Amino acid sequence: MSRVRLAFLSITILALAAMVLAPAPSQSQTPKSGGVLNMMLREDLSQGFSIHETSTISTVWPAMPCFNNLVLFDPLKKTESAETVIGELAEKWSWQDNYRNLVFFLRKGVKWHDGQPFTSKDVKFTFDMLREAPDAPAKLRINPRKDWYSNIEAVETPDQYTAVFRLKRPQPSLLLMLASGYTPVYAAHVPPADYRSNCVGTGPFKVKEWRKGEYVEFVKNPDYFVKGRPYLDGLKYFVILERGTRQAAIQAGKLDVSFPGETSKTAAEQLKKAVPQLVITPFSQNVADNIIMNMKKPPFDNLKVRLAVSHAIDRRALIQAVQQGGAVVGAGLAPKPWGFWGLAEKDLVGLPGYGSKPADEKAVAKKLMAEVGFTPQKPLKVEIVTRAIAVYVDMASFVINELKQVGIEATLKQIETAQWHATATRGDYQIGANLTGVGPDDPDANYYENYACGSPRNYSFYCNEQVMKMFDAQSQELDPKKRLALNAAIQKKLEADAARPILDWKLDYFTVWPHVKNLIPHQSIYNFGRMQEVWSDK
Amino acid sequence: MKTYVLQRLVIALLTLLGMSMVIFTLLRLAPGDIVDILFSTAGYVSPSEKQAIMKELGIDRPYWVQYLDWIRQMLTGDLGKSYRYDQPAWQIIRPLVPVTIELAALSTLFAVLIGVPTGVISAVRQDTTLDYLLRVFSLAGLSMPAFWLGMVIILGLVTWFAWIPPLSYVSPTQDLKLHAVQFLLPALAVGYRSSALIMRITRSSLLEVMREDYIRTAWAKGQTGRVVIWRHALKNALLPVVTVIGIEFAFLIGGLVVTETVFNLPGVARFLVQAILWRDYPIVQNLVMFIAIVVILCNLLVDMLYGVLDPRVRYGG
Repeated sequence: MSRVRLAFLSITILALAAMVLAPAPSQSQTPKSGGVLNMMLREDLSQGFSIHETSTISTVWPAMPCFNNLVLFDPLKKTESAETVIGELAEKWSWQDNYRNLVFFLRKGVKWHDGQPFTSKDVKFTFDMLREAPDAPAKLRINPRKDWYSNIEAVETPDQYTAVFRLKRPQPSLLLMLASGYTPVYAAHVPPADYRSNCVGTGPFKVKEWRKGEYVEFVKNPDYFVKGRPYLDGLKYFVILERGTRQAAIQAGKLDVSFPGETSKTAAEQLKKAVPQLVITPFSQNVADNIIMNMKKPPFDNLKVRLAVSHAIDRRALIQAVQQGGAVVGAGLAPKPWGFWGLAEKDLVGLPGYGSKPADEKAVAKKLMAEVGFTPQKPLKVEIVTRAIAVYVDMASFVINELKQVGIEATLKQIETAQWHATATRGDYQIGANLTGVGPDDPDANYYENYACGSPRNYSFYCNEQVMKMFDAQSQELDPKKRLALNAAIQKKLEADAARPILDWKLDYFTVWPHVKNLIPHQSIYNFGRMQEVWSDK
Repeated sequence: MKTYVLQRLVIALLTLLGMSMVIFTLLRLAPGDIVDILFSTAGYVSPSEKQAIMKELGIDRPYWVQYLDWIRQMLTGDLGKSYRYDQPAWQIIRPLVPVTIELAALSTLFAVLIGVPTGVISAVRQDTTLDYLLRVFSLAGLSMPAFWLGMVIILGLVTWFAWIPPLSYVSPTQDLKLHAVQFLLPALAVGYRSSALIMRITRSSLLEVMREDYIRTAWAKGQTGRVVIWRHALKNALLPVVTVIGIEFAFLIGGLVVTETVFNLPGVARFLVQAILWRDYPIVQNLVMFIAIVVILCNLLVDMLYGVLDPRVRYGG
């Protein structure tokens, strides 16, 4: 076993041990009411509270306390799965007609923050708008998750407190997407555009003030439909642009909680050394470093070249060198125990780039490149694009060095954030170093967004009809074991096709002061920001 | 004097007009626009949706129409709407202005309080140990970027006292003591750098004046050192110092980006950078115009002060 691999395994085991040995969620303690939690934001809310118009944690995290979903991943459980979904605005739900109809029985007596009653009309309004139904009463300016709801044929409301989602085909995992932080219910009487500047939700907290570029403050919703919740009197999210100041603020105790996805392993170690009582929990961000290759253009329309790229990159070395050990290897979906669906390390063996001996992998890559006429002496010259942000550039620099060793001479082109997604969506690139975040840890949310033919976020333009059928098959599969097996096969196929070679799954070291209770990170950064159960033991 | 001021005001207006064209053009030359950023937060771009949003925001219109519209709005006191926040730009800009002006004024005050006396002492005690020490002190100030000094202050406070200044703006009516603490630390960090410049200018200017005949005459008449230096020499040496102070203050209005960021102060410069990154044209254009107006007014004020400090300076009319 190589030293790198041994080190990697040791770190993984230590991290797992830390998770197991970490103090259990404080459910045994009696929660106290009162107090205000101070939290950080890395940037101001990008589109106000309009969660449905963005795909960024910078919006979801501070906007979630204002809203409710129909269902939500249990905030007190680390794992997100169909078993951990609990009702929010839906008191209960029922799958009918062999997973073709999903019936929600809604809570009565729920009020919007402006006093209007919540009814099934709001549910229909929200989901007709999201799926862009022909007769939808409103349209979002930007609708990034339309694909999530493409299987919904109709939303029917037989009465004020029942909503029926009629599906085109069975799709058990629709429930998981509805349980994501990205799926709040909007009020039918509020124009969607208004959510960019204010928030009328049903959630546990009401917006008190949003001082642009400075902070957003919430107060407890006294009319919240869950009796005795929330525990906290308020929440305050400070916009702190400078990373050093954010870290100093948490160290000084001015902030109680770090930002999801903010704390690297190194930063966590520094914080722990400075303030030993801080509680640090490693968890999966559900964000993957990956390589996008434009399959519409030579040379990456050639599978051999794509595979050579995938074989060339030593994932484990990248994790040590670039992520300082704060990531794990995995294929298309986050691996266990950080995620639910991903391939275990033993299953990765044999896939391009995951061999135990990096030299052998590089030899395969060189051979593939030689077959298409390139050698280290006569290299293939390409331009690798990446977003002009440190986490992207560091990864891209590592990749360039790896590619150089197999006969691919890449130059780095940094693209400003304003242009990055436009460049990727239009396909104005050859090869790119990219980061992909996925809302819920569910195959449907990932595949249809990032690998499906025609999806605007399928930056590689990978399109394989056979694989599309596999996507649909796993989506409809009702037997969990069979679905897991189908997903293993899909992930292997995606890596074998070098559709979007995954380099690692990033971990976050979520940091809170010990008086913060019941704020439990899940296996995705996007789904645990409701704050309904959080309390302060100060 | 009146004619001179009027002439300067006309020149100022022409300068502002030129500035408006430069700002407007440069912003449009930068790659990408607000719609690209909005899509960036969603992770994809749809050309048809992009076109609809551009139309909604009015940035699909010809540039000259957009420019004239902006000028017309400014003349009527309407600064337009922020693209990012969908709110009147003035509502967003208004709370930022006093923060930056206060920080710049305090920094300048510190710079003057430190820079002028040390410059005078350094000149009077030329080539003594004290002079060398003060010159090292000033050189250190020039060498240390204010943001670095700010970060060192923050890290020092958190390491030794487990304390840092407030994370959001505290108004003086809310808590005067906390307000003062919030502004004193960044003002010291910025003021120290500026004081170094003022100290060096004061020193060199004073040394030059001290060699003038009228200073020798004053000494010969038996006047005390204090009278010679503070009444005769310093007053005449202050002209370049006042110029530097004026320039520094004006520079600080737009140049406090990193200090405001490190100390998390919601000022003009920090917000301006965010607005540029978001291509929020109404905010950027109006903030830059505000900074330009402050710079022009500072220059005008400095010119007026020349006449007060040196009676030989007369304005044509």
